[in-house]
Amino acid sequence: MAVQKPNSPRVPGKILRFTKGERLSHWVHVVSFFVLLLTGWGILSEFFRPTLMIFGGVDVSRILHRVFAVIFVVVIVAMFFVKDPKYHWEWLRSAFRFTKADIQHIMAFPKEFFGGHANYPAQGKFSGGEKINSLITILGSAFIILSGFIMWFPQVFPDQLVRIAYPVHDLAMFMMVTALMGHLYLALLHPVSRVALEGMVKGYVPEKFAQAHHAAWYEEVKEQEK
Amino acid sequence: MAKKMILVDGSKCTGCKACSAACKEWNDLPTEKTSLVKSYQSMAGFTPNTYTYVTFEEKYENNNMHWLMRKAQCFHCEDPSCLKACSSSAISKTDSGFVVIDQDKCIGCGYCAQYCPFHVPKVDESTKKANKCTGCVARVENNLSPSCVAICQPGALSYGDYDAMMATAQARLAEVKKKFPNANLYGQNGQAGTTYRYILLDAPAAYGLPENPSTDLSLYLWKDIIRPIGKIVMGGAAAAVVAGVVINAVKGNYQKEPFEDHHQMKKEEKM
Ligand code: SF4
Ligand code: SF4
Repeated sequence: MAVQKPNSPRVPGKILRFTKGERLSHWVHVVSFFVLLLTGWGILSEFFRPTLMIFGGVDVSRILHRVFAVIFVVVIVAMFFVKDPKYHWEWLRSAFRFTKADIQHIMAFPKEFFGGHANYPAQGKFSGGEKINSLITILGSAFIILSGFIMWFPQVFPDQLVRIAYPVHDLAMFMMVTALMGHLYLALLHPVSRVALEGMVKGYVPEKFAQAHHAAWYEEVKEQEK
Repeated sequence: MAKKMILVDGSKCTGCKACSAACKEWNDLPTEKTSLVKSYQSMAGFTPNTYTYVTFEEKYENNNMHWLMRKAQCFHCEDPSCLKACSSSAISKTDSGFVVIDQDKCIGCGYCAQYCPFHVPKVDESTKKANKCTGCVARVENNLSPSCVAICQPGALSYGDYDAMMATAQARLAEVKKKFPNANLYGQNGQAGTTYRYILLDAPAAYGLPENPSTDLSLYLWKDIIRPIGKIVMGGAAAAVVAGVVINAVKGNYQKEPFEDHHQMKKEEKM
């Protein structure tokens, strides 16, 4: 498992967690996700209809929703081939591979979520909880992209397929927003895990944080550095 | 206003298409280029500017041909799929039984078109509004019959209070059945009954109509299951986040040094 880009600069007391490519994918996903959510939500629920006004009304939202849908798909898929592909593929693979340590992390996690102190075995680059978030993102994206494509071109697909695409699109959205709320809380508001945000912004996290939360990964990185 | 009904008597229709012209006239709809799609049928389907047209099926029996003609328009369902599907509460039903689209509320999402078992509504791509037969509610509410009914010369279209019209329909059906044994009253089954009902001279399938039109199951799945559960789950997640923040604040976790704890289980527990 490649853990650290060999030629990345060392920062004392810090450890490289996310390469440029990984961070780029993440932030493109973030921006397009929010635009898609805000331009779509007003269609889903009349309560949020005024939200569409931020973008200049229903008609502009309709166009933006499609433009950002394309960005969402094209840019992120491209990253798997263009920028640090190895890291992208590794993340994808790891999201589908749950170890015993991951399961134990997930079991212990609710306690930590609500401010307690949980014990769990050493975690890899992605902890059990992070893998769940990744999994929801990956599956949710797959469903939302497929159903969205069908909804975009209803004339070319059988009626029955289009009729099923609507609830699937909604369901995927609900799943992803639910995961997003947990993700935002942990990244911005949780006293301990919010430190991880640095990794997504600058690439580096404090070594102490890595040791505490991703000990298995931390040791691998140290091993490689020798 | 009491529940109304329109009877389309297939045995009386001559296929003159006056109803179609009268509809355009009353609703101020532009004419469109037509062509003979099949037999004497001049429109392939509804368009944003054509709310009603006549379908022609040629039926051959013992070397005789006769036409199965049907004036097609929105059925004005008692339990309309389009209404349930609408994203914008733009569709409503009048007490008289007509289903109308509020053009100001419609955003042209096309869900109504997709879910109508008869594919009636059509979205105008330039105005982004869904259009369909309005039932001439403005006329109906002023005690006039819909425009198509008013013009029909052979008396194939008739309009009135539901109960009276049903009696007429039954009587006509008994009469028509003598000549067309397969004749039936269409619009009874499915969608909880429809405001436009037909005396069809043959089985619905011969006209290309579904025997039991119904709202697609996926629409119930969407509006009655996924959506309410989705809202509850999202609400639960939001509540969990708020609880997390409050508990952390109360415990003073925000003041602590973030990584004073190591989470590892003891070495022997690790494997
Ligand atoms: S026929 Fe279609 S458009 Fe008309 S009321 Fe029924 S479901 Fe709605
Ligand atoms: S196209 Fe208009 S009437 Fe039809 S479902 Fe969408 S908002 Fe409602």
